[in-house]
Amino acid sequence: MSAPDKIYSAPLLVNWSLNYSCNFSCEHCYSRFEKAEELPADQVLEAGRRLARAGVLFANFGGGEPLLRRDLLPVSRELSAQGLSLSMNSNGWLLDEAAAAGLRDAGFVSVGLSLDSHRPEVHDRFRNRPGSFDRVVAAAGHLVRAGVKLTISTVVCRINHQELTPLLELAKRLGAAQVYLHNFKCSGKGMEHRFELDLEPLEWRDFYREALAFAANPSYPEISFDDPILASLGARDAEHGIPGSTCGKLSLHLRPNGDITPCGFIPLVLGNILRDDLPTLWRESPVLEQMRHKTAKGKCTACGHYAACLGGCTARAFAVSGDLNAPDPHCWENPCG
Amino acid sequence: MEMSERYRRRPGLPWREEPEAARDALAALEEGRDAGGDGTLLVVERGRITELNILGGEIWKLCDGTRDVGAIVEELLPRFEVGREELESDVGEFLADLVARGWVVPA
Repeated sequence: MSAPDKIYSAPLLVNWSLNYSCNFSCEHCYSRFEKAEELPADQVLEAGRRLARAGVLFANFGGGEPLLRRDLLPVSRELSAQGLSLSMNSNGWLLDEAAAAGLRDAGFVSVGLSLDSHRPEVHDRFRNRPGSFDRVVAAAGHLVRAGVKLTISTVVCRINHQELTPLLELAKRLGAAQVYLHNFKCSGKGMEHRFELDLEPLEWRDFYREALAFAANPSYPEISFDDPILASLGARDAEHGIPGSTCGKLSLHLRPNGDITPCGFIPLVLGNILRDDLPTLWRESPVLEQMRHKTAKGKCTACGHYAACLGGCTARAFAVSGDLNAPDPHCWENPCG
Repeated sequence: MEMSERYRRRPGLPWREEPEAARDALAALEEGRDAGGDGTLLVVERGRITELNILGGEIWKLCDGTRDVGAIVEELLPRFEVGREELESDVGEFLADLVARGWVVPA
């Protein structure tokens, strides 16, 4: 058995899918097949109060496309006033000059824009929306001019894994402070297109070696990964110092109806933010307990990196095997070979 | 560090107390036991979590801009088994570190 160094009294971050509705239909989308009723504004605010009371510091809106919620700005203003530090992810289509100013005034500390390739035709095809590259580039400009910290979010997969340099160059030109390289998740449409889009383990290793070299280069925007399998390259996510997946240790996920899951990619409902006491769930959930005390299985049992990576991404392991303790399918280590 | 200087926490810098850890540490202090170095308050900047121990956490909470360094020392003196000189030195060093990090600003 292995245990994280420490579990705090409450999550620090909640990834909050305010809505699953979206104006895009991307090839890798984890939530395209998800259905959940959206909470009305007053209940979103009550959920926010409960999060803040429990000690949650950060809420990151995703979905779905958060800007499709007409009440996003007034609700966000109140959530900011409750003490939550807000960020969000958007495809950028609806993010014009007025929206950028509105997000700034509502208290958003940063906004992440999805950008999957420096080549417009590749991005547009992946996002199934002609013109989406131009719109997201324009959105980046609106955010930077409004003074909102810009993050570029890229899902690393077969369409872009060998084109990191031009992607980072573009992010730099757009004024991004940070590039978030999301590892590909086998959820929703991502599972459906897994064999076309996901990389082989050795390709992941090579990609991460290259990306880590960029991460050490201060002339590029800050690069974030949050992928526990980096531990086997000696590059643990040092910012938080928590081994393995951070889901259920530092963060949780809220569905649009208030249901709580460990992360957006693990469809196990722990409770509901409006019905249940969050600190109690955080302390006592059997699912979280399992995620915090994983047991090495399969090739992990003989691997010297296990203490640092704890089997890699729990969501990915669960998606392909149904077992939270299974080895991460992206892992390139072969301790028995 | 001058005892007359005043500081306040940088607005917008996320932080929170860890209630159980703080309770345990305060109880230990009251019973004359070692409060330990465990984090009782978390400050999060750019994804990095910094844990402050009980003395650091109490100083942090008092940095609201309403009291000077001397007043912070006065408030803490009866609560920690330490001499004035040592406490002044600890508080001064800690605040200098917070200033260097940009986590507190002159009030």
